[in-house]
Amino acid sequence: MSDGQWSPSTGQIVVSGLTKQYKNVRAVDNLSFTVESGRVTGFLGPNGAGKTTTLRMLLNLVTPTGGTATIGGRRYADLTDPLRHVGAVLEASSAHKGRTGINHLRVICAAAGLPRSRADEALALVGLTPAAKRKFKGYSLGMKQRLGIAAAMLGNPQVLILDEPANGLDPEGIRWMRGFLKGLAHEGRTVLVSSHLLSEMQLLADDVVIIAAGKLIRQGPVEQVLGSMAQGGRVRVRTPQAEELTVALREQSATVETDEHGLLLVSGVDAPAIGRVALAAKVELHELTPERPDLERVFLELTAGKAGIR
Amino acid sequence: MNLVRSELLKIRTTSTWWIFGLITVPLWALTALINWLQTDALASNNFGDVPAEQADQIQAAQSVDSLAANVYTNGQFFGLMIVMLLGIIVVTSEFFHQTVTTTFLTVPHRTAVMLAKLAAAAVLAVLFWLVTTVFNLAFGALVMNSVDLGSQLGSGAVWRATALNGLAYLLWSVLGVGIGVLIRSQIGATVTGILLYLGGAVGAAIAISILAARWGDWINDLQVLVPSLASSLMVSGTEIPGNPPRWAGAVVLIGYAVVAGAIGTLTMRRRDIS
Ligand SMILES: Nc1ncnc2c1ncn2[C@@H]1O[C@H](COP(=O)(O)OP(=O)(O)OP(=O)(O)O)[C@@H](O)[C@H]1O
Ligand SMILES: [Mg+2]
Repeated sequence: MSDGQWSPSTGQIVVSGLTKQYKNVRAVDNLSFTVESGRVTGFLGPNGAGKTTTLRMLLNLVTPTGGTATIGGRRYADLTDPLRHVGAVLEASSAHKGRTGINHLRVICAAAGLPRSRADEALALVGLTPAAKRKFKGYSLGMKQRLGIAAAMLGNPQVLILDEPANGLDPEGIRWMRGFLKGLAHEGRTVLVSSHLLSEMQLLADDVVIIAAGKLIRQGPVEQVLGSMAQGGRVRVRTPQAEELTVALREQSATVETDEHGLLLVSGVDAPAIGRVALAAKVELHELTPERPDLERVFLELTAGKAGIR
Repeated sequence: MNLVRSELLKIRTTSTWWIFGLITVPLWALTALINWLQTDALASNNFGDVPAEQADQIQAAQSVDSLAANVYTNGQFFGLMIVMLLGIIVVTSEFFHQTVTTTFLTVPHRTAVMLAKLAAAAVLAVLFWLVTTVFNLAFGALVMNSVDLGSQLGSGAVWRATALNGLAYLLWSVLGVGIGVLIRSQIGATVTGILLYLGGAVGAAIAISILAARWGDWINDLQVLVPSLASSLMVSGTEIPGNPPRWAGAVVLIGYAVVAGAIGTLTMRRRDIS
């Protein structure tokens, strides 16, 4: 990195008291959180929660009404060579329709003072080389998304910020991106990703920041946020003798519910205990699965009643 | 400098510039034909009876310098509009294609970006002027010789007019950039620009002559405030009696360009990009 004051350990993002008041909406409301380097941080919230607005304030595209947002201790506008420190992918359609992919990257290289060769390298990095000389309007949604990532990687940045990068990617593309972002975090970089795809986030993120209606709801490592929820510890049981097992389990003061497929959802006792009860009652078991609390359920529970669209 | 290079690369890597170049050719040919006929008429002096108060204006227009300046700046009428539209597009295409986000991420210093855009638009305008002028030198010499006045290429007035014509191209491209910032919609800005240019020339001329008839001749001097009239005044080969001096046209046009560029830059600095 060309900038003396920058060191990898300071690729930390700090958002502090950030507020944006639009005419009718308080899009972001006194929001504070931190994003550590070396980890992938998922930035989650319902539609209209203020994710995009927050990221745009972080990148000096939108002026905050109040509060600050810094990357590596400095405001984005104060970075001398921003692209060498921070890469951002904000919306899929941000290239001139009539310009080729490679030329789009060359324009950015020219403005950022990066060598032209970086354009080819970045394109190869995201697997777009075959479409280099095709015009942007002929790109598929996934190709546009990849071009955005290529643009963000031009300066080999320490910090990567992505707004809904999985939009329009096929399963293979999503898996590619997961590996790509995890790899970057593994190298010690800071990766901040906003998304709606909670199952994907559960696979990808180390930390999560959850907001709703512009306010912080929860921040922390994924495991911790999941563990904080009471609904952990349910066990799914499949058996041809549901009624007998239900009676036997209730005697052990377990709570038993039956779902629409006839599966039993048992809480209050753990899986080994259920197995012992079944054995004693001579009940045949076909499946015995402890349910992991998933991010989707936690998310919906945490953001319930704080409806997104405002 | 990187920034100006990047802005020029943006222009080069899309088709707008050569499409506008192609549009310019038939428009140039059209005005060339008109100018040739007009020069021929003025030089051979066949006007019949002219009202006394217009006589000295015509005489001035008939002067060799004026005729020469006119043919050597041929194509100006549409050329200025074309470079203004290019200036508009340099800005509005960023909003139209949503590339402005990438642009400001790359360079958060927005004033620098705007200055680079102004410079790139000006470079493009000067190129348009240069090519047009090369064509004009060939065409103008032909016309001037055909009316037996000689090419006049030794005349200072011709070169002064040509240089001022270049200045006009430059200023109109700057005006275009300013319009583009103020009206981000590509269509909106283009229509406004064309109306300002064409409507400004025709409409204001009519309005002013009506007002002058009612309140007196001094109103005629106000036409210098209309941008398109100011620029045609600026490049006219000679001082025409009854018109404001040429330098006034230049001052007015520079004023508009500076104001448009400054307002444009300041607005862009504050604007939320979302
Ligand atoms: N330029 C703007 N002018 C007025 N209101 C805006 C503007 N941009 C965003 N908003 C409002 O701010 C709120 C937050 O919007 P934002 O785009 O940040 O949400 P988001 O979390 O990114 O949503 P999504 O998940 O749908 O992308 C919304 O209510 C939106 O209507
Ligand atoms: Mg969003």
